[in-house]
Amino acid sequence: MDKFAAIQFYALLKREILEHRNLFIGAPAVLALLILVASIWVASQLDQAEIVSTMEYLAVLFDGLSPFDMAPFFMIVSVPFIMTLYVCCLIYLVNTLFQERKDMSVLFWQSMPVSNFKTVLSKIVTVVVVAPIFYIAIIFALYLVGMIWLTVLGLTNDVDLVGIGWMFLAAVASLFLIYLSAVIASLWLFPTVGWLLLFSAFARKTPLLWAGGVFILLGFLESFIFGSEYLANWAQSRSTNLNQYLIFDFSNVVDKLFNYDMLFGIVLGSILVTGAVYMRRFTDW
Amino acid sequence: MTNIVEARALEKSYGNFKALDGVDLTIATGAISGLIGPNGAGKTTTLKSLIGLCDVEGELMVAGRDPRVARHKLMEDVCFIADVGILPKWLNVSQVIDYVDAVHPRFDRRKAEKFLSTTEIPKNKRIKHLSKGMVTQLHLALVMSIEVQLLVLDEPTLGLDIIYRKEFYDRLLNDFYDGNRTIIISTHQVEEIETLLSHLIFINKGKIVLDALMTDLENTYTEVLVAADKFQQADALNPIHIRELLGKKSYTFEAVARAQLEALGELHTPSVADLFVAKMKEDRHG
Repeated sequence: MDKFAAIQFYALLKREILEHRNLFIGAPAVLALLILVASIWVASQLDQAEIVSTMEYLAVLFDGLSPFDMAPFFMIVSVPFIMTLYVCCLIYLVNTLFQERKDMSVLFWQSMPVSNFKTVLSKIVTVVVVAPIFYIAIIFALYLVGMIWLTVLGLTNDVDLVGIGWMFLAAVASLFLIYLSAVIASLWLFPTVGWLLLFSAFARKTPLLWAGGVFILLGFLESFIFGSEYLANWAQSRSTNLNQYLIFDFSNVVDKLFNYDMLFGIVLGSILVTGAVYMRRFTDW
Repeated sequence: MTNIVEARALEKSYGNFKALDGVDLTIATGAISGLIGPNGAGKTTTLKSLIGLCDVEGELMVAGRDPRVARHKLMEDVCFIADVGILPKWLNVSQVIDYVDAVHPRFDRRKAEKFLSTTEIPKNKRIKHLSKGMVTQLHLALVMSIEVQLLVLDEPTLGLDIIYRKEFYDRLLNDFYDGNRTIIISTHQVEEIETLLSHLIFINKGKIVLDALMTDLENTYTEVLVAADKFQQADALNPIHIRELLGKKSYTFEAVARAQLEALGELHTPSVADLFVAKMKEDRHG
């Protein structure tokens, strides 16, 4: 990729983040704030002795252990963020190509020398690579505030701060696992990514209804014509099998990325994305 | 002179409605062409097809490319301003400039900023908070800072007051047009662009009903104010349009020798607006 192409693609990603800052920055920031307020409220309900004993317990638990071994412990904290990320990505994907037609800004975007393929690719990279970075950054900020808070509490209550340091390292290590989980999940759910983009490019109204409705209709037709429920079962197993994309340690990343099921999903998703690129070519229907 | 637009037999239908019905169009490099037509005549469809935003049938080449297959390459040489405020409302002025600067290889940022410094557009304001006039000024500033061969304007001054409209066309002529670039404008406000045009195209019901150089209009169309005693003589020469004026009648003739008309009254070349009305009514009555 030459320098101009790289600058151009960066501008496309920046556009996506600016346009959808509520989904990619606002939503996790509000969630972090809520968690912080809830934590302060819980702490305010505890007395001094309980706080000190909890901190001493945590310090002993984490002291001297590898941060990567303890990282999965913190993935529990990130669950609300991962759920929010998935919901926001779903809203983003189903609306992104629809909204630009609705507000007519597609005429401006199409008046620039940027191909439809690059534009749609930038939307996929936003979901798979960029959006999780913002979520991770906000979770990191939350951990940082938490550590400062615990350090102040530790200093004022004479608690061993080394254990808290280890705990923070484990929290930071968990961010890598969360990021990898988010990336692998988007690739695992790539058929969904393609399906939502296709209907975002196709629908004149209510793209979510179209995407959901057509899928249900296909399932119904399959059941009616062939008497089977392969489509529904396949979609269910793919979306509910968390084990396929939640990463608790780095050893099985390669297995989860490179397997036939993953490859099939990416090929199917790519076909649907090609449909979305094709649909975006013209604005006059 | 080479042609920047060559279109043959363009067809486009929306259901049963034929938006374009065999449009042939040739526009020479360096021309300022006016595409004039009533609502629903096919102006926007024609312009959108020229820049690859509309899937038309027929032969079409713009700046040496087929817009239907090479839209993004074509847009390096062509700019477009539409009748609706199409700049993304959620961006602020600086962000729009940053975006165009990053994605367009022929954009001159300094030129755009210099142009904007002559306006009252604040750089930190979002597009949705700018007036319609300011949005058009901003879009024009962006477009005029790109080295393109062809500028396509679809009702660019719709909804603007007379000051903004005058300024728009003054800037277009003085700061953008250099004799080599081509401009295609569609508009309802014919009178305002009449003096700019070198090429006139009327479109109605998806068909081109007039395609002429402005310099040829004088030789082809003649308007005569005829007194009551010569109505019969004038009627016999097959006028394309007649309108009543204070007891007299104004006749518009197409391709009738001036020598034949001199006996009827004073001869004029019709204004573009009068010619437009004449051609539209002629088209309506067959």
